[in-house]
Amino acid sequence: MSPIQLFNVVSQHNRWLSARQATIAGNVANVNTIGYKAVDVEPFEMAMAEARVAVKATNSAHMVPAAADGPATRVQDSDTWDITHSGNSVSMEQELIKAGEVNRAFRLNTSVAKAFHRMMLASAKV
Amino acid sequence: MIDPLQTSLKVGASGLEAQSRRMRVLSENLANAQATGKTPGSDPYARKVISFESQLDEATGTNFVKVSGIDRHQAPFRIEHNPGHPAADGKGFVKLPNVDVLVEVADMREANRSFEANLQVMRQAREMISMTIDLLRNG
Amino acid sequence: MIERISPSLSTPAAPSTLGVDATRPVAGAGVQEAAGVDFASMLGDLAAKTAGDVRNAETLSIAGVRGQASVQQVVEAVMSAEQSLQTAIAVRDKVVSAYLEISRMSI
Repeated sequence: MSPIQLFNVVSQHNRWLSARQATIAGNVANVNTIGYKAVDVEPFEMAMAEARVAVKATNSAHMVPAAADGPATRVQDSDTWDITHSGNSVSMEQELIKAGEVNRAFRLNTSVAKAFHRMMLASAKV
Repeated sequence: MIDPLQTSLKVGASGLEAQSRRMRVLSENLANAQATGKTPGSDPYARKVISFESQLDEATGTNFVKVSGIDRHQAPFRIEHNPGHPAADGKGFVKLPNVDVLVEVADMREANRSFEANLQVMRQAREMISMTIDLLRNG
Repeated sequence: MIERISPSLSTPAAPSTLGVDATRPVAGAGVQEAAGVDFASMLGDLAAKTAGDVRNAETLSIAGVRGQASVQQVVEAVMSAEQSLQTAIAVRDKVVSAYLEISRMSI
C-alpha cells in the first residue's frame, strides 16, 4: 500500500515549519523595533488537530497566513526570555535557536519524503 | 496563495535594509563627532537617531520592519571652554556635538549583529526552498 | 491506450493492489464478462487518475512560475504525478506483455 499518510503528515509539518520560519524572520527583522512583541505559531499538534481552513486571529492585530490547501496556522504571542525597557520582547538567541530547529526538522522531512518517493517509484518498476 | 518561505526572504530583506540605514546614521554620527559650527555661538552637528516600526503585511500575516524616522537626539550639546575657536561665543564657550563615540561604536556592533542575524534567517529560508525543489531531483 | 486494451482482457480476480497483481498471468479468453468489467474499469480509473494528476501538476507548475502557488505545492503535485504515472506505465507494460502472450497461445 502506498504511504499516503506519511506524505500527508510530512507535507503538513513542512507547511507549519515554513509558517514558523516566516514568524521568526519577522521577529528577527523587528529586533530593534520599540514596543514590538515577539510572535510564534501555535504548536504543530494543535494546528494538525483542528482541520481549520478558515482564518482565525487571536486579536485584531494578528492576521494569520491563509493556507488554501491545509490548516491555517494561528499566530500567538510567544513566551520570550525577557523584555527590554524599550518594550521589545524579541530575544535574538531564542529566535536563532528556533530557526536552527526549524531548519533541522525541515531537512529531515524532505529527506524522508524523498526516500519514500524513490521507493514508490522503484516499487512500480516492472 | 502566498509562500511563507518567499515571505521570509522579503521580511529578512526589510530587516537588512533597516539595519544598514541604521549603520549609515551611526557612521555619520561617528564621522561628525567633533564637527562644530563655523560662526560664533552657532550650533554644532546634532546627533541623529534612527527609529524603526513594524509593519504588518495583511496578505501574509507577517511583520515587516521599516524606518519610521531619523531624528535629532534631544540631549544638550557639550560645552567646552575654547576662546580661540571660530565657533566660540562671547564667553569663550564652544558647543560640541552631543555624540558619545563609545555609544555609537557599541550601537554599530549591535547593528552588525542584527544584520548578520537577518542574513542567517534569509539563508535558512533559501535553503528550505532549495531542499523542497531538490525533492524532484533524480538521485 | 489502456482503454483500448482493457475491454479485450479479463481476469477472474480483481487485483487488490496494482503493483502485486499486475505480475500475475492473465487467464484465458473464455472468462466472464462481469469480472472483466471490473478490471477494465479499474484500468480506466487508473488512466483517468494519472491524467488528472499530470494535469494538476501542470496547472500548479504554471501557477508556481507566476508566483501564485508555493514551491511546496508545486513539488508535491509533481511528485504525485510521477508516482501515478510510474504505476500506470508499469501496469500498461504488464497488460501489453500479457496480451501478447495470449495472442501467441495456440488454440
